[in-house]
Amino acid sequence: MAKKSYDYLFKLLLIGDSGVGKTCILFRFSDDAFNTTFISTIGIDFKIKTIELQGKKIKLQIWDTAGQERFHTITTSYYRGAMGIMLVYDITQEKTFDNISKWLRNIEEHANEDVEKMILGNKCDMDDRRVVSKERGEQIAKEHGIRFLETSAKTNVNIEQAFYNLAEDILKKQLSKDNEETSQNIHVNNTQEKKGGCC
Amino acid sequence: MDDLIEDGKNNKWVMCKFCESKILRPSTASYEERELFLPFMQKKKDLAGTEHKGETLKRHWLVADMFAFENVGFSMTVDSIKYLACADCERGPIGWHDINDKTKFYIAVERVEHRQITQ
Ligand SMILES: Nc1nc2c(ncn2[C@@H]2O[C@H](COP(=O)(O)OP(=O)(O)O)[C@@H](O)[C@H]2O)c(=O)[nH]1
Ligand SMILES: [Mg+2]
Ligand SMILES: [Zn+2]
Repeated sequence: MAKKSYDYLFKLLLIGDSGVGKTCILFRFSDDAFNTTFISTIGIDFKIKTIELQGKKIKLQIWDTAGQERFHTITTSYYRGAMGIMLVYDITQEKTFDNISKWLRNIEEHANEDVEKMILGNKCDMDDRRVVSKERGEQIAKEHGIRFLETSAKTNVNIEQAFYNLAEDILKKQLSKDNEETSQNIHVNNTQEKKGGCC
Repeated sequence: MDDLIEDGKNNKWVMCKFCESKILRPSTASYEERELFLPFMQKKKDLAGTEHKGETLKRHWLVADMFAFENVGFSMTVDSIKYLACADCERGPIGWHDINDKTKFYIAVERVEHRQITQ
């Protein structure tokens, strides 16, 4: 009865300046026709998605900020328990890219130290208004040893991919942790058996 | 309604009416009758002047754990209530959760689609 219907639960966060497209990334980009429903008026807190990776059933709980980013007041309580962070900037707004380093420091200060990160350059559909080259995005990600993708919430480019990649990285870490624990257990069992054998 | 229930549980996939996002697997939710108020799903322009209109719905799927959902969105809290929405197209409310009772998550039967999927 209490059997869990999934193997792993990963809590993910979207972080970045206001206006970069975090809310649109969380939801399929809804045009203005739906943009005025009751739900979008009160706003979404988080969503649950189920994916499968390496035969494991994984529940993603993905949180959007409630606009606290505008005041740069994202603190420890928002980061609590987070295992993955999507750090988003807007390729048409220089400032949002410059602030990536600020956000990385904020994450370092408040989030769990082994949190997986990924940088997203969003709005890549607006190439004519681009001010941040893809190379610069790749560069900053490389400097910090983080994955990078350009995305468009509007034309649905790399959104799914981004969540899968981040989940994959977390799973990798998780599996190696689990392995360590298992091998430790086996080790303990072996010594016990040996003891049992000689007494 | 009977054709949707087997042993008190949903016998089909529960899905979004608009985008086919999967919400609940077969036999993961129990059927429960309870009067719950849900705002309408229409666009605001159709609701001009009827801002807070909604309806009371009685027939629901109930799960005790939020991670029983395959895909679902939770709204911000309004007077201790979180409304549930489709995780992909954001349309809703399709369900209801009172944050003071962490063991009850409802999906309104009328606001979702039920489908047999052979995997
Ligand atoms: N062209 C384009 N516009 C986008 C994209 N993502 C978001 N937007 C627009 O950018 C604005 C801010 O988006 P929103 O998701 O509210 O940003 P947030 O403040 O980070 O949550 C909105 O007007 C969106 O329509 C995208 O990928 N392409
Ligand atoms: Mg937002
Ligand atoms: Zn939908």
